[in-house]
Amino acid sequence: MITKTEIAEPEVQFTNEPVIKLSNVSKSFGTNKVLKDFDFVLNKGENVVVLGKSGSGKSVLIKCIIGLIKPDSGKINVLGKNIPELRNEELDKIRAKVGFLFQSNALYDSMSVRENLEFPLRRHKAKMVKTQIDELVVEALTNVGLAHTIDMRTSELSGGMKKRIALARTLILKPEIILYDEPTTGLDPITGKEISKLMRELAKTYHTSSIIISHDLNCVKIVADSIVMLIDGKCYAQGKYEELERSTDKKIQEFFL
Amino acid sequence: MTPNIFTSFLNETGDIARFAGRFFKEAFKPRYEFAEFLRQCFFIGYKSLPLVAITAFIMGLVITIQSRPTLVEFGAEAWLPKMVSVSLVREIAPVITALICAGKIGSGIGAELGSMKVTEQIDAMEVSGTNPFKFLVATRIMAATLTIPILVVLADAVSLYGGYLGANIRGVVSWDLYWNQVFDTLAFSDVIPSIIKTFFFGFAIGTIGCYKGYNSNKGTEGVGLSANSAVVISSLLVFILDLLAVQIIDLLSLT
Repeated sequence: MITKTEIAEPEVQFTNEPVIKLSNVSKSFGTNKVLKDFDFVLNKGENVVVLGKSGSGKSVLIKCIIGLIKPDSGKINVLGKNIPELRNEELDKIRAKVGFLFQSNALYDSMSVRENLEFPLRRHKAKMVKTQIDELVVEALTNVGLAHTIDMRTSELSGGMKKRIALARTLILKPEIILYDEPTTGLDPITGKEISKLMRELAKTYHTSSIIISHDLNCVKIVADSIVMLIDGKCYAQGKYEELERSTDKKIQEFFL
Repeated sequence: MTPNIFTSFLNETGDIARFAGRFFKEAFKPRYEFAEFLRQCFFIGYKSLPLVAITAFIMGLVITIQSRPTLVEFGAEAWLPKMVSVSLVREIAPVITALICAGKIGSGIGAELGSMKVTEQIDAMEVSGTNPFKFLVATRIMAATLTIPILVVLADAVSLYGGYLGANIRGVVSWDLYWNQVFDTLAFSDVIPSIIKTFFFGFAIGTIGCYKGYNSNKGTEGVGLSANSAVVISSLLVFILDLLAVQIIDLLSLT
């Protein structure tokens, strides 16, 4: 059971300086309108959880933010740039500052742990020398407690270890923002709790802001400064965990039962 | 309304053509993924060597053994090296090698890219500042286009050696006589067109494998379907391209 002390307290005071701002974002797949004029703001240092039912468009939302999916309309302002209007080279510069943890970890099967972590460094920072790359790889692995796995193949790792390695790869470029897509899905409750605590610690260490997509209320309690309820393609409600948990609105209550 | 088979065939043909067009648009612009291209040449070319060599050897041996009785019947046994060398170099070695590669390389690329797609590795690559089309697709298509002709040259040589052994199972043909007859018979007009067509075979195999894998969906079921349809379509394309090549060579009077 999650104790009161594990519930997120804002250790880092977040400012009112928006790092991500979405205005009237809409996205449809055929006749299915997933996002309908969605508005959202993420301030610097803030960790916001997006809660919603399966298929409600949570993953689509963060994929729009990173430019993997193009919205039908609306503005997605990330670190001062409107993502849908950017050319590939400009988009790559923004992506170097935004980490993305995939639901399936998305570790490259054909590479070792070291090569997986080196990959974004070699791509985004082509001029970096090998000793610098090695230092950063070891630092990122040490921060997730898996320095000993550096020369292992990803197929040799457990589910929890894969998640930590994926987290290390996300953090290796020292991003300003991290987007987490269901970070504890598929993990047992104990490992899920460890990953959630690690996310919280790393947010402090790396001074990141983050959007976390999650169904896991234990994870939500640990990592969220505030929660956005994504219902019917819109931001239905926003508030702290305790506030939403006490809500009498039936649509909100469904998530906390 | 459910699209009929003809419409979906035309749609898919159009998609494959666009995919191939994207290859030409992106492959020759920087940034060049040379290291990945060499890695793919190793996997597609070098790793296929044993399979291609064994198959070519057996084909050369079998074709010679099978042709012998008919030639003996017409008293033309001495023509065995001539006949075998022309049929092997012009047709059998290129097509059999391409079919072997369609099975091995086409399915491998389809399954690998398909599994990368469903496990979001392709998205992760894009987020890491890499153009996945250039890194994964362009390198594989180029490697297949350039290594399959080399494999065919090797298959030509090995199958002709198999033919030599086959000719000596029931008869006696000296090493010198066999190779003299082979090289007297073969002209550039036999060798060059048959090698040129293998570049197209390689391009087709690489493109179809990548197209099927890159556009894979439906989860793990989709990975199997991608690998399977990559083999089926690229094998069929090899035959269609071979038919076209024969017609063009005939029209140009190169035979």
